[in-house]
Amino acid sequence: MSLGEIRKTGPSSQPRLARGRDHVVAQVGEIASGDSKIVPIGRHGVGVYNVDGKFYAIANYCPHEGGPLCLGRTHGQTVTDEDSPGGAAEVRQGEFIYCPWHQWGFELATGTTAVKPEWSIRTYPVRVDGNDVIVTA
Amino acid sequence: MTGTESLKIDSSVHAYFRSDADLRTYLRAPFKSRGFPDPDVSWFSPEGPKYATGAENADGSHPGSDPEKVGADIFGEGGLDFAVVHPMTGAAILPDWHLGTAILSGTNQMLAERWLEQGTYADRFRGTIRVHPTDIDGAVAEIARWKNHPKMVQIGLPTQTQVPYGRPQFRPLWRAAVEAGLPVAIHLEKGLGVTHPPTPSGITRTYSHHAAYQGMTYIWHLMNMIAEGVFAEFSDLKVIFGDGAADILTPFIWRMDTFGRPHLEQTPWAPLIPSDYLAGHVYFVNSALDGPPIDADFASEWLRMTGKEDMLLFGSSYPEWQLSTPADLPAGWSDEQRTKVLGANAARLFGLFTPALV
Amino acid sequence: MTMQIETDRVASEVLTPVRVVDCDVHPTSRVGELDEYFPDPFRKTFAARAVGSGSPVYYDAPDYANAMAMRTDSFPDDGNFAGSDPDLTFRQLIMEAGSDIAILGPLAGPAAQTPEEAHAVAFAINRWQEVHWLDSRNNWHKRFRGSIVAAMSAPEAAAREIETWAGHEYYSQVLIDAEGRPSWGDPQYDPIWEAASRHDIPVACHLGRGNHNELPMSPVGFMTYNHDLMVTYSMLAANQVMSLVFDGVFDRFPKLQIILIEHAFSWILPLMWRMDKIYELRGNELGLRRKPSEYVKDHIWFTTQPLDYPEDKLELTNALEWMEADRLLLFSSDYPHWTFDDPQWVAKHMPEPMRDKIMFGNGINLFHLPSEVPALHGQRLVR
Repeated sequence: MSLGEIRKTGPSSQPRLARGRDHVVAQVGEIASGDSKIVPIGRHGVGVYNVDGKFYAIANYCPHEGGPLCLGRTHGQTVTDEDSPGGAAEVRQGEFIYCPWHQWGFELATGTTAVKPEWSIRTYPVRVDGNDVIVTA
Repeated sequence: MTGTESLKIDSSVHAYFRSDADLRTYLRAPFKSRGFPDPDVSWFSPEGPKYATGAENADGSHPGSDPEKVGADIFGEGGLDFAVVHPMTGAAILPDWHLGTAILSGTNQMLAERWLEQGTYADRFRGTIRVHPTDIDGAVAEIARWKNHPKMVQIGLPTQTQVPYGRPQFRPLWRAAVEAGLPVAIHLEKGLGVTHPPTPSGITRTYSHHAAYQGMTYIWHLMNMIAEGVFAEFSDLKVIFGDGAADILTPFIWRMDTFGRPHLEQTPWAPLIPSDYLAGHVYFVNSALDGPPIDADFASEWLRMTGKEDMLLFGSSYPEWQLSTPADLPAGWSDEQRTKVLGANAARLFGLFTPALV
Repeated sequence: MTMQIETDRVASEVLTPVRVVDCDVHPTSRVGELDEYFPDPFRKTFAARAVGSGSPVYYDAPDYANAMAMRTDSFPDDGNFAGSDPDLTFRQLIMEAGSDIAILGPLAGPAAQTPEEAHAVAFAINRWQEVHWLDSRNNWHKRFRGSIVAAMSAPEAAAREIETWAGHEYYSQVLIDAEGRPSWGDPQYDPIWEAASRHDIPVACHLGRGNHNELPMSPVGFMTYNHDLMVTYSMLAANQVMSLVFDGVFDRFPKLQIILIEHAFSWILPLMWRMDKIYELRGNELGLRRKPSEYVKDHIWFTTQPLDYPEDKLELTNALEWMEADRLLLFSSDYPHWTFDDPQWVAKHMPEPMRDKIMFGNGINLFHLPSEVPALHGQRLVR
């Protein structure tokens, strides 16, 4: 869903899910490994991610200028690698979400960035109960 | 460190040979009979005096070539304790780097003999090991030759290079500097040589534009060195930009931090936020063109920003026409800032202590 | 996914005050859309070169292969490039972000290899804008303004383009680039300054890239990455500012107004000090009528995007006050590029007494814009 669509569907057309409780956001298998889903929790929505079978949930809001964080791409982190031509390699594939605006990267598990840990975004606990993927928000 | 707090140090006095003939006495054949430019050329020369009034020598030799007169002016009248002498040449931008190295080596020899090892003020002068950036092997050898000389306190490189100093070919230079425990001073070279045009738009139409613009050239080197991870790899490297313009560091590092942050994925060899590489690595000599205006009421805050008060080193650039004196520094600085810039920063950087009482 | 307001395409009779003038927005052409506007023989030349030609990019922005240096949420669904759809631009920039008037600066067209080609591209873009962005269908909301693109390498032809479009209601500025040589103080550019200032139209310059020594190239060789290039890029703008001042352009053309778009701006504070200092030390040997910093404050504008800031935002606030930023700055977003600055985010970083001038007051005066525009129900209100 695009940010415009989230804003467009107001309370009259889709009930906004209240915060501070468990939300069943998907069925297991609905979000494949490497995929994500944006659900309308809170003011900006929450992105739910499946990274190699583990689920993460992060606020769909970049703390930089308020961009739609979860419309961005996930990938890993670049590190030096002297054995690789070009001297660089990517590790921790898929564990970071990069904002579609200024490409700020956030670790899905913690909502923080390596370069400036104090710039962080809210993450939410996710668990699987039977067939339900549940976010506590 | 006792005795250093109140030292007054001139971090950039420019030394010259008396004449072209004088320079050639320090060259052997075949270099002795080669052609190379004088430090003073008419191309983008100021209309009017090239050197400050009162710096002339009675015998007509080049201003800044007589250590006795320079010493009397700097230490006697000026009341300073030490001066770091940076010889000015046109050799470091020569296309024939063999010739360049020969001239610079002769220059280092002259500096040691005339300024550092004899004369009234020998105990107060400190020197620079000049090297040519294209001749890396020659530069490393020259550094090895002089690094244990007790009076040589820095290495000297030209600002005008064909590629920026972040490029990997310069790594042996930084390694040699760090192993010798010497900072590297980067200063605009005089004369004429194989340099790119001084601005991205080519040459300027006027001298004022040229002179005010050129001092800012360091910014390209600095941004490139940060992005290429030079300060990450050489954590003890200290670089001094010798032509002033420390003021523009503040806006440019704001930009490098803000814009550079998402690019860190392209440069994992420089993983920190760019401004984290400044403290302890980057220093500036001041210049007469620096700001803010002398009566600015925010001068103290401006100097504090970006840590400039710990980077700035007072330097007269004697005997240039635009030399500066401590009286030219902003009135609004705090006493502590003034002490840092007038000597405490340089004392720590160059390892200088209170001289023995005469 | 269109909104009802777009389906109706009728400007409201109700007027609302302009609260955001966005001085940097980039429309681009859909595939093939520009071709018919190139004059002969250039249409054939450009088309022939394009056959089998791929991307020319170097100095790539982060994740370029995926993002193409754009906000990745700004690509339309029809496969065309970000910024090619006036309706999507309207929705994302005007309605969702809250910019009230957008000054369009097209960066479209092939790279020109000669001055004649540069003029042909400018000629085409000026006509394309009128049909595809500024006409009554695409500009039904009356929020778009356009640029008279002027080829700096062909000043006489560029001056004729300025004459052609100067009276058009929706063309608000002349648009030039900065990478060419020599710098702007050279008399060869005088026809452009003359035409623009006679018609009281500001001349805006957006950063771009040439090739070789017009990349721009630094005095110490080529930078390595996109960020050391783009950060030091401001030194080209600094050089043009110094050329304008020291080469007497504002003495020759006292009505000329220059806008530097996307070149950053906080560097102008120490640069003004530096120019004033050399002017003082050299005793005005150039015969300038005023101090350099006065020329800057009276004739040169800078866009807020990219808004660079230190860890301690108070330092930015101080710098804005020391430079008298309300005499220098114009808000801009740079939509749809990846370096987009949201107007609400920028507004809250501007000191409160300066905010209105920077966000819309200066823009209204400079571009002779109306202070009210047809209201848009549901538009985000930037405070």
